[in-house]
Amino acid sequence: MMKIKMRDKLRKWREENFRNSEQIVDVGEELINEHASKLGDDIWIIYEQVMIAALDCSRDDLAWSCLQELKRQFPDSHRVKRLAGMRLEALERYEDANKLYDSILQDDPTNTAARKRKISILRAQGKSSEAIRELNEYLEQFVGDQEAWHELSELYINEHDYAKAAFCLEELMMTNPHNHLYCEQYGEVKYTQGGLENLELARKYFAQALKLNNRNMRALFGLYMSASHVAASPKVSAKVKKDNVKYAAWAASQISRAYQVRRVREENVKCSAHGITKAVYTVAMVHNVNIIHL
Amino acid sequence: MGEVELSCLAYAKMYLHASQFPRSSVNGLLLSSSPAGAAVCITDCVPLLHSHLSLAPITQLALTQVDVWCSQTQQRIVGYYQANACVSDSSPTPCALKIAEKIFEQCNNAVLLMIDGEKMFPGCRVPPIVMYERKDARWALKDKHTIMLRQWEETCSIVNQLFSSGDQTLLVDFDSHLDDITKDWTNQKLNAKIMELISPANGNV
Repeated sequence: MMKIKMRDKLRKWREENFRNSEQIVDVGEELINEHASKLGDDIWIIYEQVMIAALDCSRDDLAWSCLQELKRQFPDSHRVKRLAGMRLEALERYEDANKLYDSILQDDPTNTAARKRKISILRAQGKSSEAIRELNEYLEQFVGDQEAWHELSELYINEHDYAKAAFCLEELMMTNPHNHLYCEQYGEVKYTQGGLENLELARKYFAQALKLNNRNMRALFGLYMSASHVAASPKVSAKVKKDNVKYAAWAASQISRAYQVRRVREENVKCSAHGITKAVYTVAMVHNVNIIHL
Repeated sequence: MGEVELSCLAYAKMYLHASQFPRSSVNGLLLSSSPAGAAVCITDCVPLLHSHLSLAPITQLALTQVDVWCSQTQQRIVGYYQANACVSDSSPTPCALKIAEKIFEQCNNAVLLMIDGEKMFPGCRVPPIVMYERKDARWALKDKHTIMLRQWEETCSIVNQLFSSGDQTLLVDFDSHLDDITKDWTNQKLNAKIMELISPANGNV
């Protein structure tokens, strides 16, 4: 692969924050070995990117050599110190890593990278409640850190604390109103919490996610399922029932269409479409509503 | 309790699934194409999720889809597997227990299988799995001697072959299917490749 192509690929992966570590190591290692002298100042950010990818692939040899180059060039840098800490984490030398991060924080208490690494260590050690506590404290100070809010929502979901996960996602939706993934995840959390009110909310957020991205299959299925459940609830009025049966039918037809449009003919798709149609007719029959099958 | 036999096909796909997502928890369903009896023969598996395992909608959707597919292909859901993101902790999570309970309602010798990440390295002599069965209203560790993996050496070598040929990337789980619905979560292509590798002499797998 040409040097420029390789460099551009690495840049793209860096900018989009992809974690395709094996590929980064493949391309990066070749680029460093063959073309280091011709990369100019780009080389340093590439060393950093390749080092982190190397840690992800247990390539300590490669990580170590990248780190040496960076240490030589930037001897007192906190950024490089953090990379050294990450290498210690990869080797599961968590105490040593923590000492390193603490020394960074002594020098610079506002260093968010070091704080986040400490929280990552807690997560790696399975200390979820402590990680959650530290992350909450962090967010009190750095309330705009999207990555941290998302990490916290993940931690709460793992701990089955859906109400708090929903709160984190609400923060994310407020600051990222066009992000269909947050809407869809919020819908999933509300659906999981259960109960009529939450199911109706879930349906609304799945619908919102679809407005933002009409190809989001999870949102489509989510809309179908939440609308079906609301329609089947004994507590709703006839009108609400009718409306939700319509929403569910619409979602079902969109799902069938999506599978047909992608021209997928294998067994599993036939069963997906069949399963959905079967379920929709059941809901419709129970509520005496005519479904116009699109 | 009854014996459980784990086929090469099921084991290989579970292993590949866990390897494909080393930083996440993954889960899936264990299937059997044998008739119900005292012994459980796990002949295949369906990899399900690699994110948000404890959220309900996609799990429910996947269970329904797999159910429908099983009834069309004369298979039954006989168990559930999970590999935790945290390698040092292979104990069943509340979500694993919940899903296993649901499966137990339909299949009274259902198994819960946890993959032990710490034993997933090349050359490990012991299968990286821990099995649980329903006993006295709770999930208890199964006696290792009632778990059978026929042709263990051959199974290991087949898994290695899949990695060296790059075929492990063929594995599709339900999550990946939702990201791109042209991908086949029943893994017909990968199944065929694995069946090819299984020696013709061993008709049982």
